Amino acid sequence: MKKFKSKMIIICFLMPALFLLVAFILYPVCNTMYLSLCKWNGIYGSPVEFVAFKNYIQVLKDNFFWKSLLNSIFFMIGGFFILMPLSFGLALIITSKLKGKKFFKTAYFMPMMLSTTAVGLMWVYLLNPSYGAVNQFLETLGLEGYMHDWLSTPGLNIWCVILVNEWMAAGYNMLIFAAGLVSIPNEIYEAAEIDGCTGWKKIKHISIPLCKDSFKIFSVLCITGCLRTFDLIWAMTKGGPNHTSEVPASLLYNEAFSYKAFGKSSAIGVLLLIIGITLSLILNRKLKKED
Amino acid sequence: MKIRLKKIMLYLIAFFWAGVTLFPLIITLLCSVKDNTGILQGMFSLPNKIMWSNYTRAFESAHVIQAVGNSLFFALTSTALTILIGILASYILSRKNFKGRNFIYTLFIIGIMVPIHCTIIPISSMATRVNGKNTSWFLILVYTAFALSQAVFLFTGYLNGVSRELDEAAIIDGCNDFQLLFKILFPVCLPIISTEAILAFIAGYGELIFGMILLSDPNKYTVARAMLTFQGGYKISLGPVFACIIIAIVPMITIYILFHEKVQDGMLNGAIKG
Repeated sequence: MKKFKSKMIIICFLMPALFLLVAFILYPVCNTMYLSLCKWNGIYGSPVEFVAFKNYIQVLKDNFFWKSLLNSIFFMIGGFFILMPLSFGLALIITSKLKGKKFFKTAYFMPMMLSTTAVGLMWVYLLNPSYGAVNQFLETLGLEGYMHDWLSTPGLNIWCVILVNEWMAAGYNMLIFAAGLVSIPNEIYEAAEIDGCTGWKKIKHISIPLCKDSFKIFSVLCITGCLRTFDLIWAMTKGGPNHTSEVPASLLYNEAFSYKAFGKSSAIGVLLLIIGITLSLILNRKLKKED
Repeated sequence: MKIRLKKIMLYLIAFFWAGVTLFPLIITLLCSVKDNTGILQGMFSLPNKIMWSNYTRAFESAHVIQAVGNSLFFALTSTALTILIGILASYILSRKNFKGRNFIYTLFIIGIMVPIHCTIIPISSMATRVNGKNTSWFLILVYTAFALSQAVFLFTGYLNGVSRELDEAAIIDGCNDFQLLFKILFPVCLPIISTEAILAFIAGYGELIFGMILLSDPNKYTVARAMLTFQGGYKISLGPVFACIIIAIVPMITIYILFHEKVQDGMLNGAIKG
């Protein structure tokens, strides 16, 4: 009797969570895998035709798919070469002995609290070619030659979105690095100073190596986050013009809900899932090896 | 001398980035009280005449207040549900021994790794099948499901670190599972619960993609979904668009200013443990 009761409790407590997990995540993922092998126009009740790997071939032959992956890679490059130094620098500032560092910390983190869509929309207006603040600013400086229609110029638009992304995420990643910096004991710095290690050398030989964990966390978050980018792209360019700023997630959305190619869209979804899981497994293994 | 110079440089950089972060917000705020000519002449300039009417127009026509209300409601309910359901499951996963425990835990870990975009098509057709489009309950369940895996992961990890002696003492005193969980363990877990609450709430308030595929009725729009319609909605007058953006971000900014340390700690914990 007692055993039965404890079994009931296990089932009752676990049920709601398991139900949601299976219904909204695991079943949809399996369904996406199945749909990726079919041709379907997405209308509920209309026939689903099995076409085996045709969708995958179509996706892999599609230039826009490779372009969208390239854009994701740009996001990662931006993450490691712009966001990482920037956030680390900000972390150094807010852990230094400056007055008012609390204010700086609060201000730097602010963009993260605005929803991504609001940030995207704000920057769409700031980057507007005819009245946007960015172009006006360049004009006042006398740099008319550098004025652009930022979000409609292929090649430039994706970098604009990337920079806005770094603007938004800098404060958040700053906290990760700051947590690492704070955990370095002061004695190490003092010892280093006695040995004549100051300024840049101190950062290079002490701060960076001892923040290794923060860098690891950053790498994992950056890579998985870059593959999932959608909101910012959607709010700023919707993947356009002519798919030049597409990322896999927005391509997936467009294929399904703009072009009604649900099979192809599912194939992109499955590829995205495979790439994502492979990358995080590789990353985890690599980071573990280093320890 | 050298130290002084270094300090000045640091201050300059610090102020520079504070400027870069805050300027877009300030410009948006300025533009929200300007008329069209004011905006077209220069986004930087101070308004020559303050147009509060932009806000009244925003209130009237863009469903923006409704959208903010909807989003707050969706975010709050899904956060509460996530915590309740998450802590129930985590209690079992951390405290009970049974067959398949590791398997179920792994399922939740997989749940964290799945990108939401892989699930949108099946969820959309599921919504059609169960009449869930344009309903609050379906959206809330979806939000809860996507916050849940992380919650289970964080809570189980935290509970595993809580000493079992506490349980034993409580059981000897006659506590049953409910009492043990909600009277004893829940208060102990409050730090991690508040972390998850912050993460789930922020994610829920700004969520976009499910708002896009599941909602077509403007009365049900979430903030993110409604904001996308501002873009097309006010082709001629820009002021109200900026007013809408400001209205949409005010709730989060208020929460942030009130609880900024808690929010920062929460987000950081989420990152480090996730």
